[in-house]
Amino acid sequence: MKQQIPAATPQKPVEQPKEEVKSKEAKPVAEKITAGHIHLSGCTGCEVAIADNYAGLLTLLDRYVDWVYDLTLADVRHVPKMDVAMVEGSVCIQDKLSVEEIKETREKAKIVVALGGCACYGNITRFARGGQTNQPQHESFLPIGDIIKVDVYIPGCAPTPQMIRNVCVMAYLLLKGNPDQQALAKKYLTPLMQLAERGTEACGCDLMIEVVNQGLCMGCGSCAAACPVRAITHEYGKPNVNREMCIKCGACYAQCPRSFFNFDVINEYQGILDAITGALQ
Amino acid sequence: MGNELGKYTNCVSARSTDKEILKKAQDGGIVTQLFAFALDAGIIDGAIVAGPGDEPWRPRPIVATTREELLAARGTRYNISPNVSLIKEATRSYGLDKVGIVGTPCQMQAIRKGQLYPVGLRDVPDKIALAIGIFCMENFPYQSIVQLVEDHAGQKLESVKKMEIGKGKFWVYTERGAVVQLPLKVTHKYEQPGCHVCLDYVANLADVSTGSVGSPDGWSTVFVRSKSGEDVWSKAIAAGCFETKPIDQVKPGLELVTKLANEKISKNQKTVEERMKFGVGKGLRNPYIKP
Amino acid sequence: MSKVVEISPTTRHEGHSKLVLKVNDEGIVERGDWLSITPVRGIEKLAINKTMDQVPKIASRVCGICPIAHTLAGIEAMEASIRCEIPRDAYLLRVVLQCANRLHSIALHNILTLPDMYIPGTDTKINPFTPEEPVRSVAKRIQRIREIGQTVGEIAGGECIHPSNPRVGGLYKACSERAKNKMYDLAKEGLILAREQEDFMIAVLRNYQNRDWSEVGGKQIPIPKTLGYHNQGYMAVHPVYGSSSLDPCPTWDPERWTDVRPWDWYMGEVEVNLAEPNYPIGGTSPVGTKANPQMEACTGVPLYDGQPVEVGPRARLVKFRNYDEKGTIGQQVARQLEYTDSVYAMINALDEYNPAGKVLADKIPQGEGELGFAANEAPRGTDVHLAKVKDGRVLYYEMLVPTTWNFPTCSRALTGAPWQLAEVVVRGYDPCVSCATHMIVIDEDARVVAQKLIQ
Ligand SMILES: Cc1cc2nc3c(=O)[nH]c(=O)nc-3n(C[C@H](O)[C@H](O)[C@H](O)COP(=O)(O)OP(=O)(O)OC[C@H]3O[C@@H](n4cnc5c(N)ncnc54)[C@H](O)[C@@H]3O)c2cc1C
Ligand code: SF4
Ligand code: SF4
Ligand code: SF4
Ligand code: SF4
Repeated sequence: MKQQIPAATPQKPVEQPKEEVKSKEAKPVAEKITAGHIHLSGCTGCEVAIADNYAGLLTLLDRYVDWVYDLTLADVRHVPKMDVAMVEGSVCIQDKLSVEEIKETREKAKIVVALGGCACYGNITRFARGGQTNQPQHESFLPIGDIIKVDVYIPGCAPTPQMIRNVCVMAYLLLKGNPDQQALAKKYLTPLMQLAERGTEACGCDLMIEVVNQGLCMGCGSCAAACPVRAITHEYGKPNVNREMCIKCGACYAQCPRSFFNFDVINEYQGILDAITGALQ
Repeated sequence: MGNELGKYTNCVSARSTDKEILKKAQDGGIVTQLFAFALDAGIIDGAIVAGPGDEPWRPRPIVATTREELLAARGTRYNISPNVSLIKEATRSYGLDKVGIVGTPCQMQAIRKGQLYPVGLRDVPDKIALAIGIFCMENFPYQSIVQLVEDHAGQKLESVKKMEIGKGKFWVYTERGAVVQLPLKVTHKYEQPGCHVCLDYVANLADVSTGSVGSPDGWSTVFVRSKSGEDVWSKAIAAGCFETKPIDQVKPGLELVTKLANEKISKNQKTVEERMKFGVGKGLRNPYIKP
Repeated sequence: MSKVVEISPTTRHEGHSKLVLKVNDEGIVERGDWLSITPVRGIEKLAINKTMDQVPKIASRVCGICPIAHTLAGIEAMEASIRCEIPRDAYLLRVVLQCANRLHSIALHNILTLPDMYIPGTDTKINPFTPEEPVRSVAKRIQRIREIGQTVGEIAGGECIHPSNPRVGGLYKACSERAKNKMYDLAKEGLILAREQEDFMIAVLRNYQNRDWSEVGGKQIPIPKTLGYHNQGYMAVHPVYGSSSLDPCPTWDPERWTDVRPWDWYMGEVEVNLAEPNYPIGGTSPVGTKANPQMEACTGVPLYDGQPVEVGPRARLVKFRNYDEKGTIGQQVARQLEYTDSVYAMINALDEYNPAGKVLADKIPQGEGELGFAANEAPRGTDVHLAKVKDGRVLYYEMLVPTTWNFPTCSRALTGAPWQLAEVVVRGYDPCVSCATHMIVIDEDARVVAQKLIQ
């Protein structure tokens, strides 16, 4: 889309996202970050979630992000250099093109975001086992983190427009903000980076293994609310996962307040939410 | 510590002016009254509360959209009601745009995490209109309540009309007028393990939080914390929903709240640290450091 | 002497596909092969022996733009196999969900098409993301229409991308009176916007149709009046929703369907000997590139009555409305005509819907291995799922998705177009490629039929 904006387009004055957290002198930031969407073996649902920021998407593009690559939405055929690459889908290792593309993405992008369950954890492609015409050899699909180093995870199937928006705004602050904004962005993104470090496997079982088995579950119900296939119910206050429904998207564990809970960020929820929504007004 | 009571803009002792609400409310009927008012005033379209469940004293989360449903959920059930499990559904098949929710401090944490990191909560973050937190020292699995009431207190669960934790005791009141008190050292072993890493007593992240501690019997201690909390609270006061007293003029007052909060947090902070060296060269997970 | 040009990957549609085109000296396509190169996740194969409840949830995830069609066709194929009738109110909410998805999908497709079109009366192509007027107002309207569709989808379906509410036997949750009213209000607002957007799009499309040329890669390419014409038939089963083998008179017939492998349909190895570095953006494949559609294609070729057919908006209007405009613009206009149609259908279903009604069948049989199918009219056309369920487990699963039907038809529609406009023709189909990677039934008779057809 960058390519198509007439050269004479006046740059709109950029409004500084209001920082309530530590309101410091805001230095106006004029430069946008560059970002793109890389589509591997996914379903485009992640991309639709990006678009589902509706009018907010237009504001993001006006002020903060130049969307430089996106086969679905734009006319760009080859992966360019960019600040943030949002990768949707897992990698079919029997498909040369996909493997090249993910490696190229790592070389070209400063920050690689695994967008959605397929990129983070394989999601439904964890069930793939090949054997289907016309490419029966397409059998092995890996989350991108098994092939390249990934910086940030956004789990879920589909991921939510609001998570995508938050990460975009935070990436912008991290790369272009003043020192306070950078510090906030880093704090916000840290757990999502830790999720990326934690590994490439997810399942409803994580609630048992990492929460209940660890003596951490307190029965809030967040996991059940988060599950996109209604695989989780609560029986006497604790989660029960129907493993024959679970698609391995990783939303439940990431949503659980006992997977991660960063007081330094969440205690400031009001200021941060105001800042993010303010930035997109 | 210093910040064990969280941020707040106002703290009072209060009770509802509505006799009907007070009849079966746990304390000052703050939760039910505030939701009923917010519903009338159009501040919320409905509220997720702990409604009646399939077994006696076992709560089940429901989306209440009428005063009757709110009233049916009055009173504390000391076992888990996964209220947050309905947070997304409330905005879907129930069609709510402004959701109210009541919950323990950990449930308020879940809500705020869900607003900042809505991994699986699409379009939910901006629909939380009123989150009321209730103070909480610990919670219990349902079976614990069965055993405490039926074994230790020797009462039939069906005949209990109220349970309460206060003044260092677990109280059981029955329909026939019996009052049994159990010392808290009896109840400790029955607590939900997840509560032992909990670092919040007075629902620091709620819009409004409330509990019995600090105020006289039948009254509640109320913290008004956020902008939306202030808004609804001031409107409810203006509408005559509550009688209030300044918190520094009631007994035992904030001092006790602070003391209990401090005790809970220090004890649990220690547990969190001990867990990290639980085994031999291996520890248990600390959610406050990383997933 | 004909030359070969390759556009890979094609852009502004869902998934990965490419075009291999044999063109004459004037650059007119003599034979076009449009094929999917999206890796095959093999949904039909991985479905085997999974539960009938889980498979439609997985099937939904072949495509994030028409997940609703896949969810509903998947679930209804299971219901058809086990012979489970769902309550009326569950059906009505499924219709609402279907319409909501169609509304959002048409609007999304507008964003993908507009960059090929011109602001009427000017030689300026439309960039839907520019902050400048008049485009910005249109972009905002498109996004609001999408928001309306997606929000209704979310209420009726639990989620709008991969709906969670539909299940074998009906739905998990009925919508409350309040939810119904909310959807109704949204539909009313949507109707006004949809009408405005429909008019706007048709004006833009007619303007393109009346132009003599379109600028591509710095050259003025003549637009033939017959852009995108083909002589294939149309297939559609219902103006809005669908049909299944549970219907007294199903409008889709498995007997008329045959499937052919790409081996028998597409070109064999060819070498690119025409390249255009100025083709937007990044140029066509360099001279010397080897292309081999027959080996690379990731989909089968389904035929109806032995021929490729077109599915989608125009097919529905041809079958049910006496619509008859051919070509790419005719197809695009038909899509716009479905804007208001889908809102009216949504409103009608909501009118009839009773929030106090039941949404789950009393009894859900576990199946005896019988073949059932459901054909759903997805935004892009008929989406047929076939299933055999026994003891609650899936023995056989097949998805004949819209874009798979359209691949061979569209390939034929490329003939006669300047190769530089081939992507415009492809985009007319609103292709959705990741879903198109499915398994083909090995039917020896059909293969023979197909081979004869080609020779
Ligand atoms: C597990 C638990 C432990 C508590 N510990 C303390 C304490 O240590 N100190 C203290 O001062 N107060 C504590 N409380 C709070 C206190 O018991 C009252 O709930 C609170 O004062 C509100 O009373 P009310 O009269 O204002 O509310 P009411 O009008 O009676 O309404 C109470 C509301 O709480 C909801 N509710 C009931 N049970 C649960 C549950 N298990 N989970 C979530 N929501 C529920 C109901 O749905 C209802 O809406 C605890 C509450 C719970 C549930
Ligand atoms: S995570 Fe879900 S929405 Fe995203 S590509 Fe995978 S299946 Fe599609
Ligand atoms: S989200 Fe809540 S209920 Fe679910 S596992 Fe975590 S703590 Fe337990
Ligand atoms: S249980 Fe649900 S939320 Fe958790 S990984 Fe499985 S599908 Fe995702
Ligand atoms: S003690 Fe903490 S974890 Fe336990 S129920 Fe209360 S608030 Fe939740």
